[in-house]
Amino acid sequence: MASSNRARVGHSDVRELRGPLLVLGDTEGVGWDEFATVDVSGAAPRHGLVLEVDGDETTLQVLEGTEGMSLGGVEVRFSGRPLAVPVGTGWLGRVCNGRGEPLDGGPPVTAERSSPVSGWPLNPVYREPPQDPVITGISVVDALTTLVRGQKLPIFSIPGLPHLTLATQIAAQATTSSGRAFRVVFAAMGMTHADISYIRDRLEERSAAGELVLLLNAADDPVIERILTPRIALTIAESLAFDDGSDVLVVMSDMTSYAEAVREVSAARREIPARRGYPGYLYSDLAELYERCGRVRGQEGSVTIVPVLTMPAGDITHPVPDLTGYITEGQVVLDGDIDARNIYPPVDVLSSLSRLMRSGAGKGRTREDHLDVAAQVLSAMARARSASELAELVGAAALSETDKAYIEFRTVVERELLNQGRDELRTLEQTLDLAWQALSLLPRRELTMLSGEFLDRYLPDVGAATP
Amino acid sequence: MTRLPQGAEAALEPVRLALRQDAETAAARSEAEARQQAADLLGRAQAEADTIHRTAQREGEEAARAEAAASSARARRQARRTVLAEQEHLRTLLAEQVQEQVREVRRDPRYPQILQRLTAQADRVLGPMASVTESHKGGVIGTAGKRRLDLSLSTLAEQALEDSAGEVQRLWHNA
Repeated sequence: MASSNRARVGHSDVRELRGPLLVLGDTEGVGWDEFATVDVSGAAPRHGLVLEVDGDETTLQVLEGTEGMSLGGVEVRFSGRPLAVPVGTGWLGRVCNGRGEPLDGGPPVTAERSSPVSGWPLNPVYREPPQDPVITGISVVDALTTLVRGQKLPIFSIPGLPHLTLATQIAAQATTSSGRAFRVVFAAMGMTHADISYIRDRLEERSAAGELVLLLNAADDPVIERILTPRIALTIAESLAFDDGSDVLVVMSDMTSYAEAVREVSAARREIPARRGYPGYLYSDLAELYERCGRVRGQEGSVTIVPVLTMPAGDITHPVPDLTGYITEGQVVLDGDIDARNIYPPVDVLSSLSRLMRSGAGKGRTREDHLDVAAQVLSAMARARSASELAELVGAAALSETDKAYIEFRTVVERELLNQGRDELRTLEQTLDLAWQALSLLPRRELTMLSGEFLDRYLPDVGAATP
Repeated sequence: MTRLPQGAEAALEPVRLALRQDAETAAARSEAEARQQAADLLGRAQAEADTIHRTAQREGEEAARAEAAASSARARRQARRTVLAEQEHLRTLLAEQVQEQVREVRRDPRYPQILQRLTAQADRVLGPMASVTESHKGGVIGTAGKRRLDLSLSTLAEQALEDSAGEVQRLWHNA
């Protein structure tokens, strides 16, 4: 009773308003990361998180920003605990804003239980390595950079490329063959209203089926709110996975917008900036999010994360993709040149990699020939790139028949295997068959990564070149 | 004007015959070729028509499937929206009823005791220097410097409803 009464005490000794920060005096017993409600006279209440406590002075970051606030007329009530969200299946089929408030006309999401959005630290020895594939129905991902249950696999893109289409297609189509329920949590950050409407339309089917949670933070929503969006998404996902035993995919787009929000708070706190103005702790901040995926010993479900990040000016050394690359287990890289050739999804297969693919593909997981086919296709694509570079120097006519076959192979791979419809769902069988058809354009002697047994079983007769 | 020597007519007859036969053969070949071309053209046109027909049929089926899926999604979206709106309506109705009931507490003979207990609570939280006044909404408001404790009945009821949010959803889950 005492703590709930303390939560009703309003503090109005506002000493400073600085960017998204509010400094409050005459506070006692306030803890770090405590959640607070900020009542502003004549306006809707706002929300804040405690960033710093110094004696009786407390610094809060106001999630909706401090615009329109003045030193008088503000009253802050501390909740006595970190921000928690209700957890459970009540979220499924709901569309909410970046703070988890409903946008679909329904009541606020409620549940018998709630969990702090910052998550509980997981004992590292309880972690199980990711295993078994998540089939996305997208050939290039399934065949060459297989997503594995419990993995974190980011999509690196450039503004203007169809990364949102790819992310929504993955969110709409992905599934596992485990027999467990498959759920998707889509956290959109810093999106235009057109993008938000596009996401809602693309994911309507899954949302209507009660398999999807949508958290939408628009570009004109408060920037600081974006700090919460992925945390709320992951808290919901953890509960769906580890309490309800579902396989959960969390798609977070765009993490660069999230990092900008972190930078804004850091600048307002007058912290010493590191690379490009981002705070030095950006690495651990991102790791705090990405490391919440995985599988846990003794639990059925899993959390798989696909973050999408746009690299400003296509710079892969930008702090956000750079630090993300250190934490995540591979990447899917989109390329502007491939997009210009009207290939969707424009994935640069030679720069893309799923480090855990071996745990998710092959015999007993996808198909016996999957890993070898993927290795052979990638190796041949690399050889095709060398051949086409050579052709630029000496002319295509001077190339050997084998090199010409490789160039033809690349064309067919891009046109038939990699290119697919924006709503097209391909089974893994279809995908691997397309890969074999492309491989049949190469002389059999070049297919050194495939065993004779696989060649006899899967290599199509039509178009097979001479040994 | 030269004339053909006598007997030449007869000698030329085989040549004429050969020429005519050649011409007839060529004409027959041309005719056959023309017939073949016409048949090819017709065949191609038929094949093209078949392809167009098949494509149109496939596209029509795809469009119909897409339209059916979209219309089913629209219907489900609408149904979901109606259900959610009804749930929200129930929740608002409950909140209004709770506030109404809370206003009645002021007429309850035990209200002075409640006020006393709330005043004691305000003193406990804000310290003995706090000034505690009765709120126009029932209950009390305590202030101490720049700290304010709202123990008005409506705020307490609002808080109670928020704390029992999990219970509130049974309104529609059990319905």
